[in-house]
Amino acid sequence: MLQMTNIGKTFLTGQVQTKALDQINLQVDEGEFVTITGPSGCGKTTFLNIAGLLETASSGQYLLDGEDVSHLGDRQRAKLRNQKIGFIFQSFNLMPDLNLFDNVDVPLRYRGLSRGDRHQRIEEALTNVGLWSRRKHLPAQLSGGQQQRVAIARALAGSPRFLLADEPTGNLDSKTAAGVMSLLHEINAKGTTIIMVTHDPVLAKNSRRNIDILDGQIRDDARRNTAAVA
Amino acid sequence: MFFYYIKLALLSYRRNPVLSTLMVFAIAVGIGAFMVVYTLTYLMGGDPIPQKSDQLYHIQFDYGDPAVSVFEPPPQLAYRDVMAMLEAPFDFPRTATSRFSEAIEPPSQNIAPFFANGRGALSDFFTMFNVPFLYGGPWGENSDTNGEQVAVLSRELNDRLFGGENSVGRNLDLGGLVFTIVGVVDEWQPIPKFYDLNNGQFNISEEVYIPWHLIASQELRRSGNTNCWAPPEGDDFQAFLNAECAWIQYWVELPDQNAFNEYQTFLSNYVEEQRAFGRMRVPIDKRLYNVIEWMDEQEALPNEIKVLTVLAGLLLAVCLLNTVGLLLAKFLGKSAELGVRQALGANKSSLIIQHTIETGVLGTIGGLIGLGFAVLGMKGVKILLSGDIPVEWLHLDMTMALTTVGLAVFSGIFAGLYPIWRTSRINPAIHLKTQ
Repeated sequence: MLQMTNIGKTFLTGQVQTKALDQINLQVDEGEFVTITGPSGCGKTTFLNIAGLLETASSGQYLLDGEDVSHLGDRQRAKLRNQKIGFIFQSFNLMPDLNLFDNVDVPLRYRGLSRGDRHQRIEEALTNVGLWSRRKHLPAQLSGGQQQRVAIARALAGSPRFLLADEPTGNLDSKTAAGVMSLLHEINAKGTTIIMVTHDPVLAKNSRRNIDILDGQIRDDARRNTAAVA
Repeated sequence: MFFYYIKLALLSYRRNPVLSTLMVFAIAVGIGAFMVVYTLTYLMGGDPIPQKSDQLYHIQFDYGDPAVSVFEPPPQLAYRDVMAMLEAPFDFPRTATSRFSEAIEPPSQNIAPFFANGRGALSDFFTMFNVPFLYGGPWGENSDTNGEQVAVLSRELNDRLFGGENSVGRNLDLGGLVFTIVGVVDEWQPIPKFYDLNNGQFNISEEVYIPWHLIASQELRRSGNTNCWAPPEGDDFQAFLNAECAWIQYWVELPDQNAFNEYQTFLSNYVEEQRAFGRMRVPIDKRLYNVIEWMDEQEALPNEIKVLTVLAGLLLAVCLLNTVGLLLAKFLGKSAELGVRQALGANKSSLIIQHTIETGVLGTIGGLIGLGFAVLGMKGVKILLSGDIPVEWLHLDMTMALTTVGLAVFSGIFAGLYPIWRTSRINPAIHLKTQ
């Protein structure tokens, strides 16, 4: 469902060119749970941004669901992000002045769904993460783990084909992180493809597929037959 | 999505109340000040008789003699020229008109005699200038030619002398003469007083009107400006009438271009004729001015108001520049949120619409407060001007109120153009990681 061929990304700062990604070749199939690891500054987040259509590659070809998305305009990229991709961030990125219901509502608004349809999806998504009863609360009234669950609910409410997670447990304690990982594995088990950037070697070791990036290139693409649920 | 964006705008206001309130007040102060001055301009310089301002023409002659002196053509006409105009073979409505001031002996002994401002006019004056009547009507044309002592009162004078009753048919003792009242004018205060701009364009309308010929035949006490460029040959009133002194306004109603051309030709011939007698040595191209042209020519709108308008416009510009800066700070301060919105499916157009509506909401709130400022400002202007000119007409009407709010919304959106453009160029990827 995701295929990158010779993807490269170069940033220009003044006269200095910085190569963030170089000759990335990768295929991720439907239903996979892939972790991305590598040291800071190796290009993990740039990879995730390109995969999530938040940035364009400087070179190469990117096929999403068989469609070449390398040269799409802003409007088409936004539509694809909204319909096919869910994002989960390390710092949750919830809107502080919107309650949980309205936070989950954001991507659905941009999709132009009816009021009833939106309500049903929000209720389902918040119920799945166990927070429907707190739908009127503001994010600041929740713990970090709960906020991340809301972010997951928001990412899932639009029924995306795959989730991109950028260190989703990076700001959580180990117990809460385990809960979030468990939730992500449940989601993956239901068929949603997940690509997750992580610094945590344990999470990487326990995933079925781990891609290690160094200096903008894929150093290792390791597959395992089974994965331990964190 | 429109109401969703309104909701987001109000939430955004609540999130940054100080910054948002500063912007609202910047818009409100700029708009309020501008609208006070603009309303004055609008009221003072507007078309006072839009139904026929392009059909009513004021006549002006250049009486100058370049060999003797150079002076601006006076805005009024000399008596002999007015008499010549009246003898012209046309049926177009026309009126000679000038001011006088005479003592009135009230019918009731409880009221002391007083001087009243009066206007001599021909019967056409009332129909030409759409003067509304409360009782009765104008005197007939025969009264003009026969020198009948008839009068029309203003509503205020009628209230004062007759307690507001229908006084038509009753007598008025004016300047020792007895006049028969034929009509009472309803409220009538054209702003500016276009039919006599050179005797106080914002003065209160006259209290009593009589046939113009009576000013000369009865030697009434004239008032208003008089320009003389040659001394009268004698001390009596007849010598003054024959003198080169301009003190009479003359208006003619020309319904179409043919009438205008016909009258223009007549005036040209008349000037040529007078030049043969050594008068009007400086021919001017323009002798007929419609109402708007005459207001421009006579600078009916005071220069002080024009300067104030420019200053208020500059103040508004400064306020909007401040708003631009504040909006920029506000919008760039929520870059992370915009990054998230883009990640969740917002495209640049939807962000632009969201922020345009947000600036529109700020403009609307600023406009409503600015409207309050403008109303207070107009009250202040009334206090400042009361005593000098009639101030009842100084108010914000619905058109100006809607203009105020509309201008504020436009200003808010205009001030937001650059910040919105900057906001729409934010790279979401950068801000998602750094929130």
